[in-house]
Amino acid sequence: MPVDMELEMVLRPPQLPMVPYPPKVITLANGKRMVVRQAQREDVPAILKSVHPCLFIERDYYDIVSARLYGELLAWYRYRVKSEYCLLGQVDGYLVGIVNGRMETDKVGMSYHTLAIDRGLRIGSHLFAAKMEYHLEYLGQEDVLIVAESPIGFRRWMIEYPLEPTKIPHELGGGDSWRLTREIYFKAKPRLVVGDRPVPKPLMDEAVAEIKFADDDTIRERIAGLKGR
Amino acid sequence: MRDVAILGVGMLPFGRRDEDSLMDMLAYASLKALDDAGLGNDTVDAVYVANMGGGMLQHQASIASSLVDRLSLLPAAAETIENGPASGASAVKNGVLAIASGHYDTVLVAGGEKMREVTGWRATDFVASMTHPTAEYPYGITLPGMAGMFTRLYMEKHGVTREHLLAISLKNQEMGTRNPYAHVEMALDREGIFDSPHAVVNNPVSADPLHLYDLCPVSDGAAALVLCTVEAAKKRGKPYVVIAGFGQATDTHTLAERDDPTDLKAVSLAAQKAFAMAKLKPSDVHVAELHDAFTILEIAESEHVGFFKKGEGGKAAVAGKTRLGGQIPINLSGGLKARGHPVGATGVAQMVDIVWQLRHELPENRQVKNAQVGLTVNFGGFGNNVLCFILRRVEP
Amino acid sequence: MIDEIALTAYQCKKCGKLHYPFHDRCLECRGREFDKVKPQGNAKLLTYTAIFNLPWGFDQRFLIIGVAEFQNHVKAMGQIKAESTDKLKVGLAVKPSWEPIRVQNGEDVYGLKLEPM
Repeated sequence: MPVDMELEMVLRPPQLPMVPYPPKVITLANGKRMVVRQAQREDVPAILKSVHPCLFIERDYYDIVSARLYGELLAWYRYRVKSEYCLLGQVDGYLVGIVNGRMETDKVGMSYHTLAIDRGLRIGSHLFAAKMEYHLEYLGQEDVLIVAESPIGFRRWMIEYPLEPTKIPHELGGGDSWRLTREIYFKAKPRLVVGDRPVPKPLMDEAVAEIKFADDDTIRERIAGLKGR
Repeated sequence: MRDVAILGVGMLPFGRRDEDSLMDMLAYASLKALDDAGLGNDTVDAVYVANMGGGMLQHQASIASSLVDRLSLLPAAAETIENGPASGASAVKNGVLAIASGHYDTVLVAGGEKMREVTGWRATDFVASMTHPTAEYPYGITLPGMAGMFTRLYMEKHGVTREHLLAISLKNQEMGTRNPYAHVEMALDREGIFDSPHAVVNNPVSADPLHLYDLCPVSDGAAALVLCTVEAAKKRGKPYVVIAGFGQATDTHTLAERDDPTDLKAVSLAAQKAFAMAKLKPSDVHVAELHDAFTILEIAESEHVGFFKKGEGGKAAVAGKTRLGGQIPINLSGGLKARGHPVGATGVAQMVDIVWQLRHELPENRQVKNAQVGLTVNFGGFGNNVLCFILRRVEP
Repeated sequence: MIDEIALTAYQCKKCGKLHYPFHDRCLECRGREFDKVKPQGNAKLLTYTAIFNLPWGFDQRFLIIGVAEFQNHVKAMGQIKAESTDKLKVGLAVKPSWEPIRVQNGEDVYGLKLEPM
């Protein structure tokens, strides 16, 4: 689709400078190694292929989380959102989880969403922790505002960190936001944030070479199937 | 008292069964058992249904009456049996006594539970309802919490270590990958859940000193079996399984009132009664299904039933003595750990797996060669109501 | 916080066995008459655990719960006032109190709390 660059300069929001997220690798409960790295804009169409089947899965609020994530990633891809980032979790090159967020100001971050495509491995926990690490240790922010659509998210973040309740409204009109401060983060870090850097070259090369994604049926089975832990 | 045989068994794969209601699951498992029993369109004399949460979680009472109606088993006698996590074995016990007494000839026993339709907090609260209503429950105690307190004492008294518990987790999850009926079919990696610093997130503390992978999952599922007289079993002309013996015993409700909380008296006594009735001893058992809602319990029960001396169970697990091919294979189904624990179904499912073992019907990677005698322990409450069953293969 | 530990133990009049909670008949001799006994003095921890997956009705991240034995041998479960289990051990002396242990139907429910000494 032809793009009028003059008009784009009017329609595109300004972007705050963001240092890149240094990739890391995490050993999962089944012994597999998950590479956590930052996605580039060009990766979005491939990522959306994995998000798409989740749009129709009601279980555990996957539908609403995916729908909102889909819009956010598309907005980032099409330059219609300020200072958004996206981190990916890949195992053997396959996309197993996606997290995103943005810088609201240079000091305050806004956590968007967390989508785990493979379940029972704490992938959501690991990736959420990675994005908090990004906001507070690399982007130099003081606070991150967070909301949860699902009870699982509520347990893992609001209760397990724990987060501070606020009266700040949710960006999309949901329940009030909760806050992660630097103090809470660093206190929780030893038990919630892990990973090894640098990522061994073969693993990194594999992850970067291609974002593989499982077929729709496999994704549906993993998320909404019988064996959900 | 007549001897009692098992004519048919059936179970559903355990897991998260959002599409099935509790009654659906009980009905489907029962039909599988009835078909396996070759009863065709015949009826049964009595039905016992094991279930703990129907009233609390599904707001449904008189489940056995409902099942009889659903399966058109009228006018069979029917009762719902509730004994916490030991509901399954209790229901089987009632069925066995019904036939042994001479009063009934064919009995259906089904066990089922639907726990995943509520959130984790409510499921935890439901399970905690079996603790003492004034002296324990109000404190926010959970069953994993009871197990955590027990584990601390067991570690201090008998030298159990996290390595011992790890051996149980790894073994049972590995066996789960070989069992299509298991809830969890994911092999665990030692590094991922124990050795690596990342294990702090993968395998967090749940009820110290127990971690996530020391606990069984919350599951939906159902299992059933058909009990009959030995004459009826013989008529089928193939090897069959008899109830060689069973025992049940109770202990104090609260952990605080046990003089030595590490002494699972109800387990020891139930097993002794079962062995006495069967005229067998622990070394006669070829395969066992023990109640490993928490990994510590597999170790403790293996000692209290007499497979190992106190303090030796953990070491035996690490040495591979309880694996397939070992001295006494335990939980080759994956146990509660991997097969899952729909509370009312578990006691029945344990026996279904033992029946498959004794019929020699399982694939090689799960089958104990020439298994003749099997044992189950179904552990109610936190060890205050325990049943032990011994099953034996009979050639026609 | 209430001053008295509002927990009643029961001592069998026939054989002296101490019970908490209530039993209609003695666990030892099946006797039916009991003297009421209040827990006396401080206590020692018999066992404890930190629970991270709490039941419905609790909002905190974790709860530390234990079983303690009072100086006059009454044994009971209580919530332990500690930030972690790091400084706890079996046999630790604890000071009992009677305080709100949870909220049910909008009201405080009171129970035993134990503070490491």
